[in-house]
Amino acid sequence: MSATPGPAPPSPDPTPSTSQESVQPTIEAVDRLVFDYLRNRGFRVPEQAVPDGVEGASPDDKGKAPELPPPQTISSEELIRRLAVFSQKPTQPGENALKDSANVLQELSSAGGSINIQNLIASIGSIGAEEILSSDPTDKTEGFRDLEAWVDGSLDMYRPEFRPILFPVFVHFYLDLIQSGFKEAAVRFFSEFSPSLAAAHNSTLHHLSTLLLPAHVQNDELAQRFRNEKYVIRMSRSGFSLLIGWLTEGIGGEDMGSGEGFSGEKGKRGRSAVMRVVNNHLKFDVTTSSTTTVSPTAWEENTGLLSSLIPRTNGTGPTHTNAQAFNSAQGQLKLGPAPMSEELRNETERVLQEKALVEHDPSAQYDIHYTRPQPPPGVVAPSLSDLPPHPPTFKSIDVQREVERVRDAKKRIRLEPSALNNIDPNSPQAANVMARALPSICCYTIHDAPEGVPSCTFSPDSTLMAAGFAESYIRLWNLRGEKLKGMRTNNLRKLKERGGSATRKLIGHSGPVYSLSFDPLSGSAAPPKYLLSSSADATVRLWSMDTLTNVVAYRGHQNPVWDVQWSPMGIYFATASRDRTARLWSTDRASALRIYAGHLSDVDAVRFHPNSLYLATASSDWTARLWDVQRGNCVRVFIGHQGIVSTLAFSPDGRYLASAGEDNAINLWDLGSGRRVKKMTGHTASIYSLAFSTESSLLVSGGADWTVRCWDVKGAGGLPGKRENGMVNGTATPKSREEEGIETTDLVSTFPTKRTPIINVQFTPRNLCLAAGPYLPPDPR
Amino acid sequence: MSKPKPRAPATQITGVYKADSVRDVAESLGISNLSEPIGSALASDVEYRIHQVVEEASRFMRHARRTTMTTSDIDQALRVLNIEPLYGHSSYNTPTFRRAPPFPQLPQSGTVYFVEDEEIDFERVIREEKLVLPKPVNWTAHWLAVEGVQPRIPENPPAIPKDNDMDATVKLENGVISTLLPPTPSSPGRPTAAKKPQQPLVKQVLSRELQLYYTRLTSSLLPPVPSEHAKRAAALASLRHDAGLQPLLPYLIQWVGEGVVGSLKEGATSEQDGRVLEVLLDVTAALLDNQSMLVEPYLHQVLPPVLSILLNSTLPPSHATHLRTLSSQILSHILTSHSTTYPSLSPRIMKALLLALISPGKSKGTREGAIRGLISIGKEAVRKGLIEGGGARIIGSEYGSDEGSSPIAAVLDAFRTLQEPSEDPVPLDGQNSADNAVLSQLHEVLGDFFAKKLEKDAAWARGVLGVLPTT
Repeated sequence: MSATPGPAPPSPDPTPSTSQESVQPTIEAVDRLVFDYLRNRGFRVPEQAVPDGVEGASPDDKGKAPELPPPQTISSEELIRRLAVFSQKPTQPGENALKDSANVLQELSSAGGSINIQNLIASIGSIGAEEILSSDPTDKTEGFRDLEAWVDGSLDMYRPEFRPILFPVFVHFYLDLIQSGFKEAAVRFFSEFSPSLAAAHNSTLHHLSTLLLPAHVQNDELAQRFRNEKYVIRMSRSGFSLLIGWLTEGIGGEDMGSGEGFSGEKGKRGRSAVMRVVNNHLKFDVTTSSTTTVSPTAWEENTGLLSSLIPRTNGTGPTHTNAQAFNSAQGQLKLGPAPMSEELRNETERVLQEKALVEHDPSAQYDIHYTRPQPPPGVVAPSLSDLPPHPPTFKSIDVQREVERVRDAKKRIRLEPSALNNIDPNSPQAANVMARALPSICCYTIHDAPEGVPSCTFSPDSTLMAAGFAESYIRLWNLRGEKLKGMRTNNLRKLKERGGSATRKLIGHSGPVYSLSFDPLSGSAAPPKYLLSSSADATVRLWSMDTLTNVVAYRGHQNPVWDVQWSPMGIYFATASRDRTARLWSTDRASALRIYAGHLSDVDAVRFHPNSLYLATASSDWTARLWDVQRGNCVRVFIGHQGIVSTLAFSPDGRYLASAGEDNAINLWDLGSGRRVKKMTGHTASIYSLAFSTESSLLVSGGADWTVRCWDVKGAGGLPGKRENGMVNGTATPKSREEEGIETTDLVSTFPTKRTPIINVQFTPRNLCLAAGPYLPPDPR
Repeated sequence: MSKPKPRAPATQITGVYKADSVRDVAESLGISNLSEPIGSALASDVEYRIHQVVEEASRFMRHARRTTMTTSDIDQALRVLNIEPLYGHSSYNTPTFRRAPPFPQLPQSGTVYFVEDEEIDFERVIREEKLVLPKPVNWTAHWLAVEGVQPRIPENPPAIPKDNDMDATVKLENGVISTLLPPTPSSPGRPTAAKKPQQPLVKQVLSRELQLYYTRLTSSLLPPVPSEHAKRAAALASLRHDAGLQPLLPYLIQWVGEGVVGSLKEGATSEQDGRVLEVLLDVTAALLDNQSMLVEPYLHQVLPPVLSILLNSTLPPSHATHLRTLSSQILSHILTSHSTTYPSLSPRIMKALLLALISPGKSKGTREGAIRGLISIGKEAVRKGLIEGGGARIIGSEYGSDEGSSPIAAVLDAFRTLQEPSEDPVPLDGQNSADNAVLSQLHEVLGDFFAKKLEKDAAWARGVLGVLPTT
């Protein structure tokens, strides 16, 4: 008996469990069997009575206790009869364990009553009585039904807190059933209960439903994560004690009626199945804050298989249990604007003054302050030495870029979406305010691309558009209609090509081109010199815009490269790949300089912080991370998305990060604290691209629902009309989360297109918004 | 608490790959004694592997910024999973799956789908077919928004009236749209127009240009003195093709409705009235034709004028047939383009038409209009109204004395839609028992008048009755 490692005996409460463990070794195997059995049958008395009985053999307990101390006094028929209850459950064909146990019991009962208990134990020893009890699939169904009834029957105040428990219990029950080979029971369990789980879990549920054999569970990564990691659930203290109360005593749950539904046989067995999962696989993060003050979306950040998502601090540092603790342990970030070398600044100011003299522009003297940007209060600006190494001297293009930047800053359209807040949309002034608050959007529609366009981007000076196609080529367009001519060296003389047209095909990749990036070095002053492209062929290629040819192929990733992005000051670039790493490269080296590893799934997008000190990555493991570019360690982790994170954007002021993805929501994160500022919902399909306006006041998003949406960054957000009362919150949120398409109040406007998924949105330095996407013909087949 | 909506894929996806298929494959490899548990375990495993590939392929789909998975995604997925891709499937020529009905000897084997292997005749390909190069990829630019306002240009989707704020969802769900529509256009007694006050009309501010356009348009469509045809044609063409007229739509529809009421109220017998009604119908047709116009929310206002003209008892004699034909064509157009999104539309119209056809005391014009309407709905409607509903019998008994009257002609037209009369008619033979049965059925269902008409052509009569020829 002791040779078969049965599941750990369910301990009803943390405190009794310790005392029980100490008693455990002293109990004989037989006693433990009876003990467990009785507890499963719903008798609480033995918890005290059995240890007492074993040690002191005090026969004064009423009821069952007297017949306990000498185990031989239980008649074997009695035990068989009771055990047989489980074998007579409506079982399915193919449930081997049960059939076997039934056979064994049948054998035993036919052998007559003279058999003693030792024989019984010996004959069922190979299966294990505990296993018979725990592997009966009906207790899972009962247990989950009871749990659901209890959650739904609990007070409105606690319900949002309790609902997250359902999902992990469901997953473990399902995996238990699959692992013990009850395929049909598992499938039935899945189809019965999966519809009532929150919509956010759909993708995970679908993945789990594909696991049908024990071997799948052993090899599947997600299943193993569920098995080996603790699923963290956040709960208030009072909620937690209610849960304990239900698990031990069956308190609450008005749905089933408090009578025999819970004190009865099945209720107890079901609860103990739930309790096994709770003990083995769940971890409760009990907060001291009361239920009402927790924000409705907070559970997203604190629930789930967190332990592997939180980066390990290398060395001896403590391991953190939640994202907030990790983020605050990483210390302050330098989020201020990038410094500029003194020589470059002086030269820029000199050129600006000269221009002002030539143009007789009296306001030009005020432009100077644009060259010395002040960091916002409370933000530390980095010094020159913090930046990754750059050439010590500057070129004329650098001066031109800086001069142009100042001119852009002066001439840009100013967007103030917060002005819309207290304006009646029907009043006559509204149009005026709208014009100041909202951008003009120019949409570039790509036609005759039935296969879709995986990537598209505009150069910073808006003269070039590049699109990468699934057919492995890149197409370049000059948006001004000028001819694209490459340089050719002919007898050591550089010559411009003759002829040419406004578009050009760049051929070199051998797989779909997933990302493109124009170099930012010339800014808006001149056309870019280089283009980077990443592809499914695992290479990144650098294309010269002078010769219109491929110059370098960077190899290193072993898998498709999903994203590539130039550093804001050129020279360096970063890539994101299916091999779960992001890498930092320099244009003059063929191998990567840094590898950022830690994500649990594909890295889908990568973006540089405006001062190029940090790198943000978005991953299919539903998180985004912020990395220190030079040191290569993770400095922030952002948990809260309920789906794959597919795109990112830094605000130009360097303080915020916006992330969006398959869960149709945009999250705005404060980089300094690592906390979520707000969640913006309204898109009805996945979001492909995000862009901040130059003042960081407006966020524009484009997605697969054929719309471009504008969001007020400074607005409070939240769902309309439900933010006043905490109590209302509790009931309102689960419903509103499920009803998709509920728009948060900070959605300023929506611009639908005609069947054009928007794959790229970006702002020009003067705050004009550019959007691009392929037109989908109505009926492709 | 109400249970959350079952939005998870409730249909169980397990068991897509059947154990039988595994056994079939095993038999084709010469393994005949595959046991049941092995078969089902293998099937489960195959299914798991398929899901693995699909899950991998969905990443490629996502990164290709698409929402439909293509064969190239599967190829890419197989490649990264280190499996030889399935060559030869490109998304340019999608394989068409033919469906073969279950084998008669083995009905339990179920329907089989197979890829059609087309034979290509090289001779023909070389001689005849010219390879057409696909159009190269190109781009167009337009303003999606100017200072936060979406301009009304053809490149942008038509704006949806402000009161329903669901621009993005309209194209997604049918249910959404049908709830937008007030209940019934045709059932009497419900205050459809009153229920939905014309609030958006008042609130929406029309630009000066549109107001000017509206007055010019209406005056050139219905000038006080009959004027040249060209101007009207130009106005109709503008209505049919110009984008950005969406804000005018409610006004135009109202204008049409008032015009129709005005003309019909006075008895509508003059030549002038007929011309006005014709123009109004043309306007309605043009509005429905306009690609950039979203007429759907206004269908309940469009339908009454059309049905009124169709079913009105007296129309100007010179235009009567033309008007009824035109309005039935419009009705047919509305039904073909909107009945999918508004499923209750055709039953309701059907009901109104049947009422006009069958209920006693209706005038000749109404009857004819109802029959023409039924023809426009389709064969099924004709069968239901004229044959099963007994419409033909009523018409035959009422107007049988007048051979040339219009309802008779309309009924015969309707019969022709059911079945073309044969070239060389063979009359039904009273001696033949089968023919005799048809004959008696003819008299019973269609009444004596039409039975006489049809009995001269056996094939036609059978077709109209829906009886299969017994030969």
